[in-house]
Amino acid sequence: MDKVVDLFLSDAATRQKWENLLSSLDLHNFSAREVDQIDHTIGLVDEDGKLVGTGSVAGNVLKYVGVINEDTQGARFNKVVTNLLQYLAEQKIYHSFVFTKAKYASSFEHLHFNLLAKTDEAAFLENGMPDVNDFLSDLPKVEDQADKKIAAIVMNANPFTLGHQHLVKMASEENDLVYVFVVANDVSLFNFNERMKLVQEGTKQFANVKVVSGGDYMVSPATFPAYFLKSPDELIDVQTSVDAAVFKNKIAPALNIARRYIGQEPISRTTHFYNVSLAHELGPDIEVITVKRLEKSGQIVTATQVRQWIKDGDLAKINKFVPESTYEFIKQNMSELQSRIEKGMNIDGN
Amino acid sequence: MEIKTTAVAGTLESSDIQIMISKGSNGIEIDLESEVKKAYGDQIEKVITETLKKYGLENAKVKATDKGALDCVIKARTLAAAQRATETQDKPDLEVL
Repeated sequence: MDKVVDLFLSDAATRQKWENLLSSLDLHNFSAREVDQIDHTIGLVDEDGKLVGTGSVAGNVLKYVGVINEDTQGARFNKVVTNLLQYLAEQKIYHSFVFTKAKYASSFEHLHFNLLAKTDEAAFLENGMPDVNDFLSDLPKVEDQADKKIAAIVMNANPFTLGHQHLVKMASEENDLVYVFVVANDVSLFNFNERMKLVQEGTKQFANVKVVSGGDYMVSPATFPAYFLKSPDELIDVQTSVDAAVFKNKIAPALNIARRYIGQEPISRTTHFYNVSLAHELGPDIEVITVKRLEKSGQIVTATQVRQWIKDGDLAKINKFVPESTYEFIKQNMSELQSRIEKGMNIDGN
Repeated sequence: MEIKTTAVAGTLESSDIQIMISKGSNGIEIDLESEVKKAYGDQIEKVITETLKKYGLENAKVKATDKGALDCVIKARTLAAAQRATETQDKPDLEVL
């Protein structure tokens, strides 16, 4: 009978055995970026003391799951996943995700993981509750939604600028209802509650706009494991495909969303690539409308620039790029925001 | 009886069933995954529903992942999950079984 044990990867010998097992199963990415996120790792040891299976969790994401199968197909896999889910349940986490190679999707589906998206290479599944259907049924709706023209915008809004407001205004004028999904991942200078509040305040003049959390389902870069992918370009491509597939197959049909508005990306090559890829993945079912970036005194309005000015403490310049509500917030919290930057918060990303 | 938290009981190993329960408002709603769903799905759902009702729960969302559990196992796992969800596990009500 196989035994379940805790593995401590900080121990060099354990780490080596763990890597050897996973390498033999064709998992090769052990970069610090991925491994450092792991909260807990378990191992499965057979009667001869040999490591025959393992699995890890990082937050609510299962990672590095692999077993050596013997006669009873799936028994070891089920045991590893059971133990990981029990570990999460002890932390009061009842909703979890897994990114895996497309060919392993069905193994997880047998354990009641529901497929959220599948591309040629990768699959993204969730387990437990509340699930995507609960997320969707909790969103605000309008009467006769099925007959309405509905659009969506996904934004991080770090922080909400006049550029974001311009994008929302266009969508608001051209549709009956607009959902603004605010990215829920907390890795930005402005935390989720702050970003949410500023988006709400900056869009309250548009009666047909509903600002909601993107939950776990829109753009969650921290959880996307690069470990089964070769290069960064491939990573962006797969991540976009999965993100778009969740939106296209799960979110949009439930809310009758027919259009998605995105801001044109003149500066970041990565974001531009993301936009092009998004349009490709969502079409033709969902029309992707690219809106030209707003300019103020000959300069393109970007949140990246606003963050730089926060670092420099230049309120006068910030004022040109953000609505009143965002400006007031920055003014009142300038020292707190600057201290976050000093403590190492990255402001060059998204 | 009131559900206070989401809770889980059981494993995904052969001959067992994993039951997860959370608050609901629409009767007992069961989402069942089982390799023998075609043949035994109705029976499994009936056992879960009856066990929860006997325990005094009228509304709950249930996710059940069956790996070929017998009725007695289904009852035991359902009861354990229900007690954890209602935070009454310190007063086991074995009469329900």
